[in-house]
Amino acid sequence: MLRAMLAAGFILAAAPALAQAPAAAPAAPPTGAPADTVMNRNLAPHAPRMTVTPREQLPLAQLRVPDGFQVDVFAHGMPGVRMMTEGPNGTIFAGTRTIGRVYAITANPDGTTRTRIIAQGLTQPNGVAMVGNNLYVIAINRVLRYDNIEANLDNVPAPVELTDGFGLPPDQHHGWKFLTLGPDGRLYTNVGVPCNVCEFDRDRYALLVSFNPDGSGRRIEARGIRNSVGMAHHPVTRELWATNNGRDWVDNDNPQDSLHRIRRSGEDHGFPFCVGTWADPQHNAGRNCSEFQAPAALLGPHVAALGMRFYTGTMFPEQYRNQIFIARRGSWNREPLSGYDVVVAKLDAQGNVTGVEPFLTGFRDDAAQRFTGRPVDVHVMRDGSLLVADEQLGAIYRVTYRR
Amino acid sequence: MRVSILAAALAAALAFPLALPAAAQDARRGQALAADICAACHGPEGRSQMPGVPSLAGQPAEFVTMQMILFREGLRAVPVMQQVAQGRSDQEIEDLAAWFASLPPGPPDDRPARNAELLARGQAVAARSNCGVCHLPNFAGRNQIPRLAGQREDFLAQTMAEYRDNRRSGSDTQMNAVMYGMPDADIAALAHFLSQQD
Repeated sequence: MLRAMLAAGFILAAAPALAQAPAAAPAAPPTGAPADTVMNRNLAPHAPRMTVTPREQLPLAQLRVPDGFQVDVFAHGMPGVRMMTEGPNGTIFAGTRTIGRVYAITANPDGTTRTRIIAQGLTQPNGVAMVGNNLYVIAINRVLRYDNIEANLDNVPAPVELTDGFGLPPDQHHGWKFLTLGPDGRLYTNVGVPCNVCEFDRDRYALLVSFNPDGSGRRIEARGIRNSVGMAHHPVTRELWATNNGRDWVDNDNPQDSLHRIRRSGEDHGFPFCVGTWADPQHNAGRNCSEFQAPAALLGPHVAALGMRFYTGTMFPEQYRNQIFIARRGSWNREPLSGYDVVVAKLDAQGNVTGVEPFLTGFRDDAAQRFTGRPVDVHVMRDGSLLVADEQLGAIYRVTYRR
Repeated sequence: MRVSILAAALAAALAFPLALPAAAQDARRGQALAADICAACHGPEGRSQMPGVPSLAGQPAEFVTMQMILFREGLRAVPVMQQVAQGRSDQEIEDLAAWFASLPPGPPDDRPARNAELLARGQAVAARSNCGVCHLPNFAGRNQIPRLAGQREDFLAQTMAEYRDNRRSGSDTQMNAVMYGMPDADIAALAHFLSQQD
């Protein structure tokens, strides 16, 4: 049975890609509970909420941050809001998955914000990044460039289609992208594995990849990273760091999601064989885990560690400088719930992670085993405040610090 | 053209809830709207007597809401439903969902007679495909995951083929994964088995 599922997955992964049919990606192999799981077999992904959540229903009163910090609502009424980027004039652009939209948020003179929908009907447009004045959006394998976007928010012109140049696989499952511009002017993104865990082409899936902005010059930055949905370059060393989502259906505490430091392009980080010293019980294939690059830190089992940024501002206390803020969307394949928060990975001068600490909490109710919001991305604004996108409640919060 | 669609969607999605106090979903408002725009095809009590049209009675509210939003946003390709959903506010959609969720589920009047052989094969396919993990062992559905028990057999078969052939995806891509490569005969048996559950 398991073997048959794996075989189906292999055929799928090896099948030639259908050219740019946005809704017609090849399916992934089954992702539900395997017959031999020790877990509660009725665990299923939580329902996303794609209707507008009124401001008064946001759980602002429950949110907790360290002393001196304060959380406010920056913008709301944006169902499914996910990954963020900022234009040169200060517009925040945010992608989504299920609802297919890209939002633009601008500041009004009175300090409130205005939200526009600048694109819609796209298939999981999760990846957004600015290159100069141009907004890049990646919707699975579709790559769109909206030129001079901030001057055209009320009359968005048709985007330039760069899909063919990038040649990304069209698989929807784990095919949503995180996108970031590197200090070298290249675009960095992820290609997740189109299954929970399976045999697959390790040159095509479970990768971090980079491109020139026209899609040429593809380079594999890291292999064996199952499903990264967050990455950023260290502001001093310029090294690429990335979060990764571990597989489902092993047990409540394994494997852990992980944080990866990419010291050299192309190194192997171990999926599906290992996560650090943890050998996959079904997919280790006799490999020694010391063959692979170990994660820089473990981020917790099933927590869904997604968007991450180094803190480059000056508003927060000095101890946060160049530390990594990470949004943990929260678990579904685990009892009890875990994640649903923003954590800080603390780095020492050598770039070793010395600890992972909670920063923004209060979305998870442990007694009731319920959650309100789901943080999916963070963004450091020019004034040093930190934006946190909440996909479940369609809101972006702003964290500030006052001495 | 594109801009006016965006503006309409923005007005529907953003302006409305800002202009009104938070209104909980209201099944009675949903009933009135459903009589106007849903009943002709989905049946006055949400039990469809029309081939190819699903029954909505007893569907989880979050499922109905999600599908209506996918129609409204142009992300699920059923032209007649995109037309019905166009410009609908979140509140209208949630009202409709509350109404259909409140109705007792049940099979269509023209449910085909049980075929023991097909039923047994369908049961085996359901077990092998782990349908009950998400849809629950009694196939009543939950949250964004639809009720399958008692659904129209023709609709189930058509929908599963759409997932298999990547002509549809749901709030995520799980169903495309589950249906990958399933033979027509298995789909027919599964549709029969699920439609016969009560």
